[in-house]
Amino acid sequence: MAKIPVSMVVNGEKIGPLEVEEYTSMLDFLHEHLNLTGTKLGCGIGVCRACTIVVERDDGSLEPVRSCINNVGRFNGETVTTVEGQAEHDSAGEIVALSPIQQAFLRNFSFQCGWCTAGFVNAATALIDQLKREPVPADTIEGVIDEALGEHICRCTGYVRYFRAVREVIESTPGLLLKEAK
Amino acid sequence: MHQFVFAILLLAIGANAAAQSEVEKGRYLAAAGDCVACHTAANGRPFIGGRPFHTPFGTLFSTNITPDKKTGIGNYTLEDFTAAMRRGEGAHGNLYPAMPYTSYYLIPDEDIASLYTYFMQLPAVEYAAPGNDLFFPANLRYGLKLWNWVFFDKAPISQPEGKSPQWLRGNYLVNGLGHCGECHTPRNFAFAMKREEKLSGNILEGWDAVDIRPASLRRQGWDREQLRLLFTTGASERGTALGEMFSVVKHSLSRLSESDINAIITYLLDDSAENNESVAGKLGSPQVAAEQHTQGRADFVAYCAGCHGREGRGVTLSFAPPMDRSAAVRGDSAYNMIAVILRGLPAQRMDRINARAGMPAFHLELDDARVAGLVNFMRTAWGDAEEPVTREEVEEIRRQLREEDYLGAVK
Repeated sequence: MAKIPVSMVVNGEKIGPLEVEEYTSMLDFLHEHLNLTGTKLGCGIGVCRACTIVVERDDGSLEPVRSCINNVGRFNGETVTTVEGQAEHDSAGEIVALSPIQQAFLRNFSFQCGWCTAGFVNAATALIDQLKREPVPADTIEGVIDEALGEHICRCTGYVRYFRAVREVIESTPGLLLKEAK
Repeated sequence: MHQFVFAILLLAIGANAAAQSEVEKGRYLAAAGDCVACHTAANGRPFIGGRPFHTPFGTLFSTNITPDKKTGIGNYTLEDFTAAMRRGEGAHGNLYPAMPYTSYYLIPDEDIASLYTYFMQLPAVEYAAPGNDLFFPANLRYGLKLWNWVFFDKAPISQPEGKSPQWLRGNYLVNGLGHCGECHTPRNFAFAMKREEKLSGNILEGWDAVDIRPASLRRQGWDREQLRLLFTTGASERGTALGEMFSVVKHSLSRLSESDINAIITYLLDDSAENNESVAGKLGSPQVAAEQHTQGRADFVAYCAGCHGREGRGVTLSFAPPMDRSAAVRGDSAYNMIAVILRGLPAQRMDRINARAGMPAFHLELDDARVAGLVNFMRTAWGDAEEPVTREEVEEIRRQLREEDYLGAVK
């Protein structure tokens, strides 16, 4: 089995170079090499999006990417965030505060079994980042959430609660919506 | 007396059955002609029209072909229907040749009559499609008379002697009712099919409607079984149906009888006792490919192998087809490989229990040189391409796809 050297920044921490079997999926790399097990394997074929993590593009914007269908080589040299990296940590690595998305999901009891939650947290966080860069008219908010999260599958709660949670964060964070709604 | 009433009843039932079978025959022919694909808008009611067609001359909308008297074809006589189908002459003037009368002119009278019977018994729906938005001079319908005079070649179908009845039936289904050439035949400056290059492939809606002539299909390893799978399920280990072709499989080919599918395959492969081998061209070498295209191989492993498998062997057809037996990889043109990588593919649903996962688009992440390297790795490993794809070719295809707004629809 051929190995490739892998280096990247995960949740703010420099990783590698590690020698990793080249066909290792990003999901397995997170689980087996980094012991980050918060990212879940759902369907394994890129459909349900439970395994979504966040990659920082060159311009600093955030992109949700599925980790089950992409092998580790795709993330070489990249800066990625998993669900473990969303909360604010102190220098000792202890959680100081949950992110606004995480808090809103808890407040709304958005999920039950929790298997899809990490994917939702990451994709919703990328959405908030996108809206900071490109605010949208307030009356398009439902379509925007649907576009960003509509492909994510949740088998417990019926999609209403996380929708409300994300909407809350968008509406309560200054600068995400354009004032002159149509 | 009782016998008499009974006989009348039987006659009535018989007549009803005959009418019913005429409707069923029309329903089948309408599926073979794939009328529903164009005469239905996205998520719209079947046959009421309103689907837009973007052409170099502006946007056309398909029309309502339910028997509504005001907005559909409710006032059409059989003669009117025949004129529209065969000559492109509608009640309101000449039809634009987006209506494939340039192929339908080959449909015989009895099939036209069955189609007429079928359409006239559909529920009438009042719906007027949006008006066409065409540029001068294409917006002038009387110009179509001239177009027809110059470009509408009404040559009778060529049914050469010595071909099997299956081949002859396939010829009619492919070139007449099925109107395959309307997409697969290149068009000239005036958007007319180039007869001399029949079925040799054509770029349409950002996809290559590939060369489906026998030599091309055979060289890519298509055989009867693989074509049968593609036409009935939308997927084979040679590849899956992309873009509009998936709709053709879903609404038309998958509804055809086994004998008609066999006829189409016999025609497409020009299958006969003397000519029945699928000769895949020389196949590539993964070792050579890995040496020549290091970055391409690394990208294949990183971006593609998660679904398309180690060494491109694929997983299951409903998830990701193999690349090491793919007709697109073996094909002369790399257009579809490049377009798929840049655009991605939407998920497809055949019916309630058969669906296929989509593919992510990579236009944001892979630049032209890397796409070229990836394509060259795959073609060298599993195809028989003589000429490598250049960065400039990818750049040009990307430019076209961006211009026509095909990038970004799939994530």
